[in-house]
Amino acid sequence: MKTKPNALAQGFIRCHDCGCLVKTADHTQSCPRCDSHLHARRPHSLQRTTALLFSSFFLYIPANIFPIMNVNQFGAGESHTIAGGIIELFNSGMIPIGLLVLVASILVPSLKLIGIGLLLLCVHFRWQINARKWTVMYRVITFVGRWSMLDIFMISILVDLVNFGAVQIIAGPAATAFAAVVILTMFAAENFDPRLLWDYQQYL
Amino acid sequence: MNSINYDACPECDLLLRPALPEIGEKAHCPRCGFLLSKPRKQSVERTFALSIAGFILFFPANLLPMVGITIMGNVNTGILLSGVIALFNDGMVAVAIVVFLASIFFPLVYLTLSMLISGHLYFNQPNRYLIGWMRWMHHLDEWVMLEVYMLGIIVACVKLMALAPLKFGGGLFAFIALIIITTMLTGGLDTRLFWQRIEKLSKKNSYEN
Ligand SMILES: [Zn+2]
Ligand SMILES: [Zn+2]
Repeated sequence: MKTKPNALAQGFIRCHDCGCLVKTADHTQSCPRCDSHLHARRPHSLQRTTALLFSSFFLYIPANIFPIMNVNQFGAGESHTIAGGIIELFNSGMIPIGLLVLVASILVPSLKLIGIGLLLLCVHFRWQINARKWTVMYRVITFVGRWSMLDIFMISILVDLVNFGAVQIIAGPAATAFAAVVILTMFAAENFDPRLLWDYQQYL
Repeated sequence: MNSINYDACPECDLLLRPALPEIGEKAHCPRCGFLLSKPRKQSVERTFALSIAGFILFFPANLLPMVGITIMGNVNTGILLSGVIALFNDGMVAVAIVVFLASIFFPLVYLTLSMLISGHLYFNQPNRYLIGWMRWMHHLDEWVMLEVYMLGIIVACVKLMALAPLKFGGGLFAFIALIIITTMLTGGLDTRLFWQRIEKLSKKNSYEN
């Protein structure tokens, strides 16, 4: 039988932090170069990623239902949800910015939740897939995740600047939920180990 | 002591002969396409210079007013920290902490670490904390969100322009310069080279003792 070209199958563990290779036969617990804990794969990758994914999924619901900010003008209050803020941008003719916010705060988080879910299912059911394409998907997910914080930063600026007594913008409860979703999905993607996708592929 | 003459791809675990691309070239994993290394000319010197510049720019970017808005004769100007304080006063403590970390604290720590690391490498000074600093910098990378914050400023300004006249202050320009510097810094950082140099330095250090 042909041995797999994987480093682990050939008896090497790659350090997560500094990238140097260590022989499995050495039985060391920590990296000789940077002293961080050695793991062949990220520890409890699937369990951790699943737990983080479920928590972010449940927080994603309040993040979209509740208002992310309240605009008070001369005593009259008006609440905006994430989607409401985008519709408002479209209605006032600011299409490119509206699209930008649509991508960053709706498309990216929802596609990210679906994408990480698919990655987990793939590894769990040992689907025979084009691992290269799936690794690229993983790479895209880790790259775009942080851009969803855009909405949170925007709110912090609006809340700060529009504070005049008569006219006021106040952050709503969805802001906390949304920030948590972004951070939890970032952690979920970080805990997923893409090498798991390659480990059981038979054609390799 | 580390005589293993192999390398492994971090994303697909393919065992490889170490790729040694020329300066300006890129080495990708043949199996999954991961960017393995991208050596830059004088990575240490470049990182050192850029992190000093970034560290200096950090202060005007944080202390000078960024955007001012005038409503009914009243002027409100904002800096990075005042957004955090405004969220805090609204009772959004968790969000305020996240914004503070991603836009102020982590960028400062990142710049400080890269300045310390590249400075020690530049002057060939061994330090037992170098390894720890390097690991911290590696983990922080993703949480430095200055570019995302910039996009947040743009969207906020577009929304506010309809409401009232805006004025842009020196803080904003320093902030933009800071983003350019940090992007160049992270792009030109050759982690592979840095780890090799750190390993060499710590060996030299243990010889002397
Ligand atoms: Zn290591
Ligand atoms: Zn690879």
